[in-house]
Amino acid sequence: MVSAIIGRLSQAFLLLLVMSVIGFIGIHSVGNPVFNLVNAETATPEDIRRATVALGLDQPVWHQYFRFIGNVFTGNFGTSYIYHLPAFQLVMGKLPATLELAIVAMMIAAPAGVLLGLLAGRRKDKPVDRTILRLSVIALSIPSFWLSMMLILIGAILTGWFPSGGRGPTGVFLGTEWSFLTLDGLRQLTLPALALALPNVALIARLTRSGTIEVETQDFTRFCQAKGLSPRRILFRHTLPNISVPIVTIIGMQFGGMLAFAVVVESIFNWPGVGKLLIDSIQLLDRPVVMATLTFISIAFVALNALVDLFYVVLDPRTRRSA
Amino acid sequence: MQFIRKFRSPLLALAIATVFSPGLAATTAMAEELRIGTQLKLMTLDPHYADLNENNALLAHIYERLVRQDEHLSPQPALAVSWKRRAPTKWEFKLREGVRFHDGSAFTAQDVIYSIERVRDFLKPPSGGFQSYTKPIKSVIAPDPMTVVIETDGEAPTLPLQMTTLFILPHKTNGFATTEELNSGAKPNGTGPYKFAGWQSGERLTLASNPDYWGEPPAWSDVTFRVIENPAARVAALTTGDVDLADYIPARDVENLKQRNIKIESTSASRSNFLQFDIASETHPGITDKSGKTIANPFRDSRVRQALTMATDRPFITEKILSGYGTAASQIFPPGLSGTSDKLKVTPPDYDGARALLIEAGYPNGFSVVLAGPGGRYPGDAESLQSVAQNWARIGVTVQPVVSPFSVFMTTRSSGEYPLWYGGCSGEAVTLCLDGVLASQNEALGTGSLNYGSYENKTFDQMLTKAKAMEEGPGRSEALASATEFVMADYPTIPLYHFHLIVGHSQKVGSYTVHPRGWTMAMQAAPPTE
Repeated sequence: MVSAIIGRLSQAFLLLLVMSVIGFIGIHSVGNPVFNLVNAETATPEDIRRATVALGLDQPVWHQYFRFIGNVFTGNFGTSYIYHLPAFQLVMGKLPATLELAIVAMMIAAPAGVLLGLLAGRRKDKPVDRTILRLSVIALSIPSFWLSMMLILIGAILTGWFPSGGRGPTGVFLGTEWSFLTLDGLRQLTLPALALALPNVALIARLTRSGTIEVETQDFTRFCQAKGLSPRRILFRHTLPNISVPIVTIIGMQFGGMLAFAVVVESIFNWPGVGKLLIDSIQLLDRPVVMATLTFISIAFVALNALVDLFYVVLDPRTRRSA
Repeated sequence: MQFIRKFRSPLLALAIATVFSPGLAATTAMAEELRIGTQLKLMTLDPHYADLNENNALLAHIYERLVRQDEHLSPQPALAVSWKRRAPTKWEFKLREGVRFHDGSAFTAQDVIYSIERVRDFLKPPSGGFQSYTKPIKSVIAPDPMTVVIETDGEAPTLPLQMTTLFILPHKTNGFATTEELNSGAKPNGTGPYKFAGWQSGERLTLASNPDYWGEPPAWSDVTFRVIENPAARVAALTTGDVDLADYIPARDVENLKQRNIKIESTSASRSNFLQFDIASETHPGITDKSGKTIANPFRDSRVRQALTMATDRPFITEKILSGYGTAASQIFPPGLSGTSDKLKVTPPDYDGARALLIEAGYPNGFSVVLAGPGGRYPGDAESLQSVAQNWARIGVTVQPVVSPFSVFMTTRSSGEYPLWYGGCSGEAVTLCLDGVLASQNEALGTGSLNYGSYENKTFDQMLTKAKAMEEGPGRSEALASATEFVMADYPTIPLYHFHLIVGHSQKVGSYTVHPRGWTMAMQAAPPTE
């Protein structure tokens, strides 16, 4: 058990290191952030040169990289070039917005997806099943920017029920500001959460459906049926636990994805989250913030994966025995 | 941004109108809170940190300058009531009496000295974009609490104009305030018409009116700036009534917004976008003959530059690409502003004349050239490169347009990899752009900072230096105009257009005056008059 944890940790560490090299080289080769910092239409070459030196951008890449890594080990990701605030603090400041969006979206997506999937799986090849399958194909294949814009068009412009974007008023909970605590905040949250949730509903529904169909044909299900258990009890007590491992995996992965890469939805709805910060910072070449965001995302993914593994143990008795 | 365009149906407009018109009557009665959706992303609360519109426009609500620049770019009294040139290198500013900072402390000469010295001496790169304005200042003294005398190293006939850039902070007795201090810590404390109420960096700035403001009382009780960088999202927010006013509206959305009862205001920005040549290099890998062989740099011949200018269809760019929200350019600043020439005119393209000139210059078969530019930085930037490529194909010049994000473009351009590129210049006065783009590179004089192609014209340099030394007034304007006429006859750049700044607002705002510097400010918005 201990060796497994150590293995996991060293793997995670290696992942972070590789990610930092790739991220650093990538953002470095894009361009010089100085041009976003000084007014390129008025600055003199001298201004640009001095700003470059002040940011340490005149040094060779490997030199800059080692300085960055050295700072990270002391817990310092550097100061944002653009906002002049500590980079990690900036990322953490955007986290509540992303977290609540992802949680609400997953709270819609997971139950809805599982229920629809079970329903479709039970009624294989019936009209219900075919409708759910078709809708899921549509939901999975439409690009999220289009879905977001349609939601704005229908939910905001045509009906006026919801605001078209932005984060609403916030309430304070655990020392952090959350917008789901206010009614207006919830209204602001609805459309982006739906935009994030819909493709995931489809994904989870399809996964659940195929799992259900597979399990339905197995001996233990038939045995249950022979025993005279009600279909509902079989579905929820026997089928569902047996198909839950891949579902939990996909929920974990998708949740990580929402935290990190809800870029499109966050940009279109102008939701001030981590994804928007990442894309803005890449555009402005704000390297400390990009690196801090990437590191945070990697850690979040590693942690979520570990959590999913832990869940396996709870869900599947076989993994307990082998460990 | 495209989705609105796709739904240009009258039915939809009707639906929108019915949804929103009942609300209008109610909102006009209490036009108090103003919500602005802006592209300008406030980065910091330190008004001296970077000389970017993002900071200058939004912080102008809180902080003020000695001199204010109005919609015609003329200097107007702000914290200084009057100014006088006591000697060629000495300016005296009389300060406004009875002005108080938001914390109640009185505004005096000490604050002016503190602010100028903070920029000149204290701020270190990468901050301190304003240092080019304070660099010529030798000393600032206060003969009495309400007078400031600024002495410069050289002659500074336009010092009041330079003072339109610098925000005045309240002075501190123990050293200078750091950027971190201003960003976190205490509330920003200025003299402006609005008080700071709160902010989230890159997201939102909230302001409350300052009841003790020295000037006209602020028109709005509360102002909220929401940073919405995506133009489609900004337009959507304006359409749904989430914001009352939105800036930098894409020209293609204007018609649609008008149908929805949104008022549109626009003005020609005090700037220009142009094509700039590499004139320094003898040869450039980006310039080849039709078989791909590198040839001698044709841009060193002014006849080639003239031919290319003649073959550029500028009215097409402003009419079609910018949907009329642009002015075809023949010089560096839009005509009508001080120091511009009214003799320079944009002519329709003359392909035959251009071809004849190319033959005369020794390029009967034309040549191939790489034309680089940023994408999405300025209205119509990438599209105009395409348009120029098509224009020039008619005179045998093959253009290979290269479009990349602004910072990538700038990095590659500054490494000299492009022979021809799309550039822009803006500023508080035409001299800034004449100095930067057209004057010869000279670090000691600080000229030619944007003259990346090393264009040189000694006669023009002299004419410009002479004009700049003159006092503000019609004489100076005329001298600048004739210098411009002289240099444009040599075709140093191809001026393309002055794009228009477009602002849209709902009926909650009575009128809005667009500032040519691109500053979106609540002070420009007037409530409706009943």
